[in-house]
Amino acid sequence: MEGTANTSAGESVIECQGLTKVFGNIEAVSGTDFSLRRGECFGLLGPNGAGKSTVIRIIYGATPRTGGSLRVLGYDPAIDARAIKKHLGVVTQNNALDEDMALRDNMLMYARCVGIARRDRAGRVDELLDSLSLAHRATARIRQLSGGMQRRVVFVRALLRRPRLLILDEPTTGLDPAVRLHLWERVRALKADGSSILLTTHYMDEAERLCDRIVIMDRGRIRAEGSPRALIERHCPGTIAVFPPDPGLRRRVAQVADATPEFTWFEDRAGVNVRGPDLRSVEEFLFKRGLVPLMLRPSNLEDVFLEITGRELGDDA
Amino acid sequence: MLETLQLAWRVTMRHWDVYRQNLIANMSPTISDPVFIILALGIGLGAYVSDMDGRTYLMYLAPGLAISTALWTAFFETSYGFFIRHTYEHVYEAMLTTPIGPHEIILGEFIWVALKGAGMSLVVTLVLLIFQVGAWPLAWVLPFVAAMVAISCGAIGFISSSFVRNINQFQTVYAFLINPLFFFSGIFFPLDQTPIAIRSICYISPLFHGVRIGQAALWNEDLVATLLHHGPLLVGLTAILVPAAWLRIHPKLYR
Repeated sequence: MEGTANTSAGESVIECQGLTKVFGNIEAVSGTDFSLRRGECFGLLGPNGAGKSTVIRIIYGATPRTGGSLRVLGYDPAIDARAIKKHLGVVTQNNALDEDMALRDNMLMYARCVGIARRDRAGRVDELLDSLSLAHRATARIRQLSGGMQRRVVFVRALLRRPRLLILDEPTTGLDPAVRLHLWERVRALKADGSSILLTTHYMDEAERLCDRIVIMDRGRIRAEGSPRALIERHCPGTIAVFPPDPGLRRRVAQVADATPEFTWFEDRAGVNVRGPDLRSVEEFLFKRGLVPLMLRPSNLEDVFLEITGRELGDDA
Repeated sequence: MLETLQLAWRVTMRHWDVYRQNLIANMSPTISDPVFIILALGIGLGAYVSDMDGRTYLMYLAPGLAISTALWTAFFETSYGFFIRHTYEHVYEAMLTTPIGPHEIILGEFIWVALKGAGMSLVVTLVLLIFQVGAWPLAWVLPFVAAMVAISCGAIGFISSSFVRNINQFQTVYAFLINPLFFFSGIFFPLDQTPIAIRSICYISPLFHGVRIGQAALWNEDLVATLLHHGPLLVGLTAILVPAAWLRIHPKLYR
């Protein structure tokens, strides 16, 4: 048998220090440190071009690193990628399915690729198709399936070998809310079963709900690290009042917020925002001055993300 | 090593799985092209060409075209085929998440190309034999030669894949490399009468050596002498082209 990977309970599933990657004269990843603990769901967030996908490809040995040290399931991917990949499942950013093949045939083909014995392939594939509610479309060609179904097929492919490390690279991009909820449920169940999960996403609510810890990357570097709650507490705690984008309103909001130290204001494409320590104080503060916001909401991970990576479009966005 | 072969074989089998989805459509041009060239030129033009070193023009054309299917199929797979799988279909991206690595992908591609080249030339050879073009006893040599030609021409395809910036640029390679290779490899006329410059260039064409061996086999004459002369050259060229292709294409898959 292939045996188990060399990690024991409590150890890191991914341990990376000073990871760098240079393409030509572009430094895509510059000295990244993080670790993913066993049984954890870890989020790797960042704007487009931040270096997330490169980090992921380095982790499973599809891209060589330029510098730094990296252990995945106890192995160095530059040397033992095959050993790592025997315990790995990846929901790739591109579906990369064979569009002319029938769904079930396509999965049987991947079952062979990941090395499931011939007699076990059909059973495993059918089990997964069933659990992801795809069994009724087993004979349909991939191109006949909806986007949400194709994404679920990619989940099936990633789960064929009961991975100990599951990498989800933007798993729910472009999916409707029902499919997203369904997939989140799956991810939680996998985590409960003991899989460690590395997730990248542009949906901050997704990261907030699924991840135990996250790092926010920008231009190849890690800018922040912690649990979603801790990051919100550290970077922008409190309640946010949202006003429509109106120059007169903007002047008044700025005037009152600048005069009070515990209140801050900022502007984005959606409008003018005032942030204060909690719901009650924000309400009091604004209503006393006759300012009625469109809505009041608790600050969230998206506020942290924009605070850290900036509200302007980067070069690679 | 055994595991590497096993993993590479899974890549080959993936291509077969996809290929057989549209088997008839996929095989049609590869089989029909040589067969119709043989018929049109062999029977049509052949009526005006009375003697090709003592045989009919139809007979002259047959082995070269059977071998040339290996060139077309192999070059197509490793140029357009590879480019599409790599850039548009992201097939390798998915494969690299399995225990299959970049070296196994390249090896699997070469095995696929060799088997496909051999299979195609086998079918064309059988068609020829059924119509009594060629001699049976040594015809079994052709698929083996075709496999070798496919590997070397597949290597040329990989090398061009490593240079092109977009898929359209393959047209230039077809026009100025593959076409001359096809027309000047002794398939349509013996090279003995061509200028020495052309003959020398032909010596670095793997297809030319494959065609010569194929002719000796299907005509059932001088096979041993031809093998001793052209065999080492075909193997030697393959031994240069394959590592060159490997070095060029590996960074595309692992960068």
